[in-house]
Amino acid sequence: MADPQVVQRVKEVIARVLETDPDSIADDANFVFDLGASSMQSLSLVAAFEEEFGIEMEEDKALEVQSVADAADFIQGYLKK
Amino acid sequence: MTNAAGNSLDGFFYPKSVAVIGTTDVEGSVPFDIFYNILKDRLNGIVYPVSPGKKHIAGVKTYKYVVDIEEPVDLAILVFPSAVCHMALEQCGKKGIKSVIIISAGFREVGQAGIEREAKIKAIAQKYGIRIIGPNCLGLINTDPESHLNASFARKMPAEGNIAFLSQSGALCTAVLDYAQGKHIGFSKFVSFGNKTDVSEIDLIYYLKDDPKTKVILLYLEEVTDGPGLMKAAEAAVREAGKPVLAIKSGRTSAGAAAAASHTGSLAGSDEICDAGFEQAGIIRCNTIEEMFNRAIALAYQPVPKNDRLAIITNAGGPGVLAADATVGSNVELARFTEKTQELFWKKLPRAGNQSNPVDVIGDARADRYEIAIEGALADDNVDGVAVILTPQSMTDIDDIALNICKVGEHNEKPIYTSFMGEMDVASGIDILERHKIPHYILPEDMVDSFAACCTFRKEMAHKLDAPVVFKDVDKAAAEKVLDEAAKAGRHHLPEADAEKILEAYRLPVIPRAVAKSAEEAAKAAAKIGFPVVLKVESDDIVHKSDIGGVVLNVADEKAASAAYETIMKNAKKAKPDAKVDGVLVAKMITGADEVILGLKQDTSFGPTIMFGLGGTFVEIFKDVSFRVAPIGSISAKEMVREVRAYKLLSGARGRTRRDVAAIEECLQRLSQLATDFPQIKELDINPLMVQDEGKGCHVADARIMI
Repeated sequence: MADPQVVQRVKEVIARVLETDPDSIADDANFVFDLGASSMQSLSLVAAFEEEFGIEMEEDKALEVQSVADAADFIQGYLKK
Repeated sequence: MTNAAGNSLDGFFYPKSVAVIGTTDVEGSVPFDIFYNILKDRLNGIVYPVSPGKKHIAGVKTYKYVVDIEEPVDLAILVFPSAVCHMALEQCGKKGIKSVIIISAGFREVGQAGIEREAKIKAIAQKYGIRIIGPNCLGLINTDPESHLNASFARKMPAEGNIAFLSQSGALCTAVLDYAQGKHIGFSKFVSFGNKTDVSEIDLIYYLKDDPKTKVILLYLEEVTDGPGLMKAAEAAVREAGKPVLAIKSGRTSAGAAAAASHTGSLAGSDEICDAGFEQAGIIRCNTIEEMFNRAIALAYQPVPKNDRLAIITNAGGPGVLAADATVGSNVELARFTEKTQELFWKKLPRAGNQSNPVDVIGDARADRYEIAIEGALADDNVDGVAVILTPQSMTDIDDIALNICKVGEHNEKPIYTSFMGEMDVASGIDILERHKIPHYILPEDMVDSFAACCTFRKEMAHKLDAPVVFKDVDKAAAEKVLDEAAKAGRHHLPEADAEKILEAYRLPVIPRAVAKSAEEAAKAAAKIGFPVVLKVESDDIVHKSDIGGVVLNVADEKAASAAYETIMKNAKKAKPDAKVDGVLVAKMITGADEVILGLKQDTSFGPTIMFGLGGTFVEIFKDVSFRVAPIGSISAKEMVREVRAYKLLSGARGRTRRDVAAIEECLQRLSQLATDFPQIKELDINPLMVQDEGKGCHVADARIMI
């Protein structure tokens, strides 16, 4: 389980990129299926996460992450390093 | 209309409501274009864009999920990335949607991760009873005004027509649509079926067989996964429904044949077997897209010729001769006019031209002269089709001639084909012909080829059903026992004695023989069998026995038999010191017979396939062989024997004795039964089968079986 604060920051990043309300994003929401992210927006999300958290993610693996909860877990893995 | 499994595909072609799931508002993207094509091409129904994150697309209200749509949905089109298609499909199941097209790529074609994704969607489809077209496809088009569905990302919707096009390649579809539009060719249905995870070309052929809007079915295949299924579907379309099936099967590779271990294996490459399977099913195989459409328009636009006699009418001698030459190469005939027609042409056409076939109306011919020749030829009872050639001279009234042909062609029961040669000057004439559905070809040879294809179709349509005979006198259990024991022993190449036991069980006449373990035994066995005999080394490790001096022919008495035994054993030891030799085979020597080869091979696409050819150099050098996919009946067996060029040698040509062809035909049918009973037999050669005079039968002299 990711830190709730990380989850909230992830949602805020997603809301910014996808131009939606962070409160409307569920923890298990899928970027594409539930939030309608295009392939370009998926790339933008990776960049925005890196900027928000000051990390550098492995792009291929980052793009495989599909949901809010998974993204928070993935990012937390980098924050612990 | 239902497919073979009794399931209708109407949900794909005649939906009253369509949901495009995963669409976006990005113009020029696949998800947008699919939705927008349905909208702009005016589906006779309702279209729902499903797009999380968007409120409306192209002025139409969107839904976040397909389950949010309150009304029932007949067809869903998934344009999401492959990674989330399973989520969308699950919702389709919950919504009760039974027909789904998955456009998205990223499945089987991309490797293991894609294979797993495809398996996941297949499982969901099975759970909810959903039929799927795709994934990895362009979509489908139905031009029938009752539906008018353009569920594709093709640039434009084709005109309505009576040709259906089915393709495994999506990219090819768009090129075909563009090509066809330039030639005013319309389509009834147009389907890109991609990875065919569920709905395949077989389902679609069954559906189109009963589609009243479809007259001709075209198929582009990159792989045949179920050869027998495809053959059955095509046979139903051709022979039950009278609809031609034309196919391109790409990938004419011989890589598989190169790895084969028998004569049959090396001669029966996958492409040769594909040819045989297609021909058996009445599928007309084409080499290029152009050839396929040339033939398709002849079949779609004109009546099928009642016989093979073609009349050629031309205003230029050279092209007329080219067309006449092409009739010879295409196995059709130049019509011989009746006296009445000859008289008419003699009276009404210029004497400087040619009044017999090909009719030369000469260079200054105008529409009236063409009309006399065309109508005269069409009225002739000896003519089954008319081919009109035009070259543009200064006085040629091209458009009037074209319009005249259209007028005559409209009400005639005989087909007309045209070749207006050239480009710029004849362009408007060609346009008139194409718009009026008169088949046109740039080259006269292509015109004749298309007439020939129509004749082939007529013959295929009339081809009698060839029900295989099931021989009751075979001993299946005995053959099974030998094969089981070989499998248990881990053998892939059966010893000759075992191969013969299997053939004997299927009453394939093996030459009387015995295995001798000593010179004395060889002499005794030879005496018992009756002279002359042949002696041959018995060893699994020695494949090409003659090459090492392992065979002695024409042994006339016991003393010679004993000596031959010693010689063979000596030669075997010298040539292959490590070989395990089980003795020497003593067999009756058949003289005064022709040698033929019979074979079978299991093909990955078509299953068991039977081969026939004359032995020796005919097989080795000329590859003069015929193939059929098993099971075969008596008609196919007869055709197989007669198809090889060397058949004349068996049939008593030039004073030769006629051989027992009926016995060969029976052997082929028995081999077919063996092949279908035991799919574990990978390859089998009977080489040679010694064929004696008519009524005297034939004998298996040597056989190899690989499992």
